[in-house]
Amino acid sequence: MIAVLGLMLGVLLGLFLQPDVPIWLEPYLPIAVVAALDAVFGALRAFLDGIFDDKVFVVSFVSNVLIAALIVYLGDKLGVGGQLSTGVIVVLGIRIFSNVAAIRRHIFHA
Amino acid sequence: MGLLNYITATSLDEDYAHVSQERQRTADCDADAADAVAKRRPGTVALTVLAVFGVLVATAAVQTARNAEQSASSRESLVGQVNARADQLDRQRAAARRLRSEIAALRESDLDATTEGRSVQSRLDRLGVLTGGAPVRGPGVQVVVDDAPGARSPKFQVQGPDLQKLANGLWTVGAEAIAINGQRLTNLSAIRDAGSAITVNYVSLRRPYTVSAIGNQKQMGADLLDTAGGQTWATLQSFGLKFDVNTEDDMLLPAARRVTLRYAHQPERLR
Repeated sequence: MIAVLGLMLGVLLGLFLQPDVPIWLEPYLPIAVVAALDAVFGALRAFLDGIFDDKVFVVSFVSNVLIAALIVYLGDKLGVGGQLSTGVIVVLGIRIFSNVAAIRRHIFHA
Repeated sequence: MGLLNYITATSLDEDYAHVSQERQRTADCDADAADAVAKRRPGTVALTVLAVFGVLVATAAVQTARNAEQSASSRESLVGQVNARADQLDRQRAAARRLRSEIAALRESDLDATTEGRSVQSRLDRLGVLTGGAPVRGPGVQVVVDDAPGARSPKFQVQGPDLQKLANGLWTVGAEAIAINGQRLTNLSAIRDAGSAITVNYVSLRRPYTVSAIGNQKQMGADLLDTAGGQTWATLQSFGLKFDVNTEDDMLLPAARRVTLRYAHQPERLR
């Protein structure tokens, strides 16, 4: 309940304020969002498994976002930004899918 | 495959399991901590992080929408610029055409004023017809040539040298003026291959190629087949290439584009 409230609050805040993203940060935003999505789905699954922990969630969220951004930054500097982003998206996508599958098993028992 | 298996197996952060095991152990030896185990629900920290996540998502969405708007508007402005420039080009071409005809009219009226001028004018007309500087009309033959249907290899396609031979054949049988797809042949014209296209007067042509030649329409068509060019084309025809010769009673061939001579000039004593 409190999680949904926080999410709604954040979305409304983002829509209301419409913060300007600095140009240098722009390429990292989408990949950061995907990484954050992975952390959130992981947290939801942990919550349903009954092993949710605030601290782990925060740490995994922050480290996911930072590492994803760092990998893309490094890739940009090395000239393989596109390929590295693809790699990150693929890994995070697989993780998200398997986490969602676990969540689905919890909710529908199927 | 090992990597993929590893990713799917550890899709949930292992820390969750670690921490929960740690908690379980402390709860076993400490009764007070048991409450903490039961109360494993998201707290304020999780709320804050989720709010941050929401802001992140909303910002990314807003940013993407904004960028899409920007790129669409910049594309529109580019299209507008292209159209405006095309219109400008059309206008200037029309102006150039108008000025050219004005020049021609002025020269004509100027030359018409004197006897000497009239003789110069008639000489100009004659030279224009001969050199390709003026449009000509008259009877003649029209040869339409084209690649073999569905041709892939150059062997079955019309090449520059084939058109050269055809044009030479037409000159041989007495053509007085020739134009290929509206490009008048002059003494400075070149028919050549440029990449996959054939250019005449440095203008790329598209197939099919229509070679119009003004001359004796009754003889030219038949005579053409006896020339080297005509025989080349008879061979090419057997490969499937199109080669149609028609007689025309009245054709209008355009003037060639004016060519400026850079190196050749009249010797002094002829001036």
